[in-house]
Amino acid sequence: MDGETDESGSNGETTAQVGVAGETLTLTTTTSTYDTGLLDAIHTDFEDLYGVSVDAVAQGTGAALESARNGDADVVVVHARSLEDEFMRNGYGINRRDLMFNDFVIVGPEADPAGIEGASSATDALATIADAQAPFVSRGDNSGTHTKELVLWEEAGTQPGGDWYQETGTGMGEALNIANQQGAYTLSDRGTFISQRAEIDLTILVQGPIEGGPEILANPYGVMAVNPGVHDNANYDLAMAYIGWITSPGAQDAIADYQMNGEQLFFPEAVSEKPDFQQYVPEGWQPDSASE
Amino acid sequence: MAARLGERVSVPLEAVGSALVGLVDLPFRDGYVPSIVVVSLYVSLVAVSLSTLVSVPVAVTMGFLEFPGKSLVKSVINTGMGFPSVVVGLVVLFAVSNQGPLGSFELIFTREAMIMSQFVLATPPITAISLAAITGVDDRVREAARALGGTRVDVALVVLKEARYGIATAILAGFGRAISEVGSVLIVGGNITSADGISKTRTLTTAIQLEARQGRYETAMILGVVLVVLVLTVNTIVVRLSDGGTPR
Amino acid sequence: MLRVTDVTHAYDAEPVLTDVSMAVDPGQVLALIGPSGVGKTTLLRTLGLSLEPTAGTVTFDGTDVWAADTARRRALRRRTGTVFQAASLFDASVARNVEYGLRVRRPWRERIRAVVRGLVGHEDVPASVRDALAVVGLPEAASRSVDSLSGGEAQRVSFARALAYDPDLLLLDEPTSDLDPRNTAVIEDAIERARDRGIGVVVATHDMHQAERIADRVAVLLGDGVTEVGSTDAVFEAPRDDRTRKFIAGELVY
Repeated sequence: MDGETDESGSNGETTAQVGVAGETLTLTTTTSTYDTGLLDAIHTDFEDLYGVSVDAVAQGTGAALESARNGDADVVVVHARSLEDEFMRNGYGINRRDLMFNDFVIVGPEADPAGIEGASSATDALATIADAQAPFVSRGDNSGTHTKELVLWEEAGTQPGGDWYQETGTGMGEALNIANQQGAYTLSDRGTFISQRAEIDLTILVQGPIEGGPEILANPYGVMAVNPGVHDNANYDLAMAYIGWITSPGAQDAIADYQMNGEQLFFPEAVSEKPDFQQYVPEGWQPDSASE
Repeated sequence: MAARLGERVSVPLEAVGSALVGLVDLPFRDGYVPSIVVVSLYVSLVAVSLSTLVSVPVAVTMGFLEFPGKSLVKSVINTGMGFPSVVVGLVVLFAVSNQGPLGSFELIFTREAMIMSQFVLATPPITAISLAAITGVDDRVREAARALGGTRVDVALVVLKEARYGIATAILAGFGRAISEVGSVLIVGGNITSADGISKTRTLTTAIQLEARQGRYETAMILGVVLVVLVLTVNTIVVRLSDGGTPR
Repeated sequence: MLRVTDVTHAYDAEPVLTDVSMAVDPGQVLALIGPSGVGKTTLLRTLGLSLEPTAGTVTFDGTDVWAADTARRRALRRRTGTVFQAASLFDASVARNVEYGLRVRRPWRERIRAVVRGLVGHEDVPASVRDALAVVGLPEAASRSVDSLSGGEAQRVSFARALAYDPDLLLLDEPTSDLDPRNTAVIEDAIERARDRGIGVVVATHDMHQAERIADRVAVLLGDGVTEVGSTDAVFEAPRDDRTRKFIAGELVY
């Protein structure tokens, strides 16, 4: 994956003398995150800083969290808030931080048979597609993208089903190819779409919030450490070093500087003047509600 | 005979050459493709070697002994030949995961776990084809070896030698199964490279899968060609070493 | 040297041999004659100590073979050699085939050393191998591969293979049935030379003329066991049993 990254941020000028030197961090994440090439681009800085190596395993959202639940990972980076919340509620994940965000877009053939172009409501657009029974390709794999898609259908009040709705069980790139071949609509993360734009004839019909579209299409990423209280073999020290590093101003700048085909893919979220307590706990959690 | 074999060998060598030239133009980082070739070869060669050490003696035993449950063992082996690799991967995953019985060895996402699953995949074909070769050795040769004073070990060695081309075929079949499978090594290995693109647990097959899931089919195909050339080269070398002999 | 007494053999209650007794002495050729399927091979294998009779005793050098323990029996069996109707040579050079019997009788350490020597390139052909090949008229054949041999040459190598380790007892099962007259003559000559060395030879053959040519003693099998045993002259000129006389005269048709 050839993304471009500006060389900003510390670059191995200092090597911190920490007890984690020589160790390996196992990080599980989603395929779309990994396939943007962001992680490979920025991890070298972290590795040099601490004298460690990072094993980034691109498994898909569900498998990434399952690996962490089994104690086969030290830290996870995913973009499916509801699943992250469940992960935290069950005690597997701790010290969550908002990491970065990008967004989703609804893409389809230029001919736009269902007529959804420029819709300001993503849920309305999907409802229109369902009514028109226009072909729609779904990931169908409990990925972050699929999770978001299900949320949209729920908000739209529609249960998708029928010949026009196809669940592929593939990665995002392949799903885009399938949608391209069939002239179908699909929900895609902006990053994958950008990287494939040259090879397919689909176009963005509903924008995400980065380009002024509806907030619901936001795609926030979170990073969590695996709870050493549940798995004592989890490399907690190194996981925390990683979370500390990737939410630091230097790494966040590097994330912002990462580009694919000349476009910025990710928008950093971790560094903020204002407090954001919701990032540490499941959404909607209040101190007085019974622990779930 | 040698001349004809030489003609047959030169074709794959040319293909290797042009593939290597093509590698220079590949849209990959330096060292990426060689590193995944190395991981592919390392995992498969070790798995097949270990499997041969187990499979051939098992085949010899089955070829010589009758024991209760022998036909059951044969059924298991034959089933194993067609067993889906991804299911083997899941079983190995359960075993080496932190939650599994071998969890304390920290084998998850390592090459060693990949070797384990390819060992399981390669053993049935190596055993079955070796067994066929061994039982295919003329009984009269066995009888002669025994009549001339050979102990059971001597006779087994004679049979092994007579069956050597069949056993080489068996090992090549096991290697072919191992190096072209993707399901199990993906699950237990994690398809990992270091940040600078040097492979840790990424093989040619999992690299192809990665390109394909991103819709980069042409790049995937290039890696596919590399894989085919690699397998062809290994097969050619082994056939060459056997002097292209055919069993009589 | 070898004596069988009242040996009976039955395959699944089908008797093939009944109360057979005979002896084989060193430096003697004993021919087992009779039509195909009559039990010559069964008797031959019994004499070769590889088939246990259903009843009766087999004595080799004074030892009751089937009452002895496995190790002793194996040691006795190793003093025999067998040549089959089909050459059944191993897929290797002629020298390695002929050397087989010598090889398996060496201690393992020596054998491993020999393998290592062979890998490095020092392959000597042992004298007994050369000698055995000379007996069958193939003195220069040691380095040839087995595929290059004609059918007759292969059978001759098979004979050399059984001779090379100097057995006390040599058993041959229809050794020349598939051979042309020239190769047959070479094998018969080799049998004589083996006899002259003091080896006890047993030859099963359906060719009576061959038996007449090469055997000192003859055992005639005609359907339910041995009907007659005696010196060749005695059996051929004055057979005691009527069926034997008819068989020799060619009158009995099987």
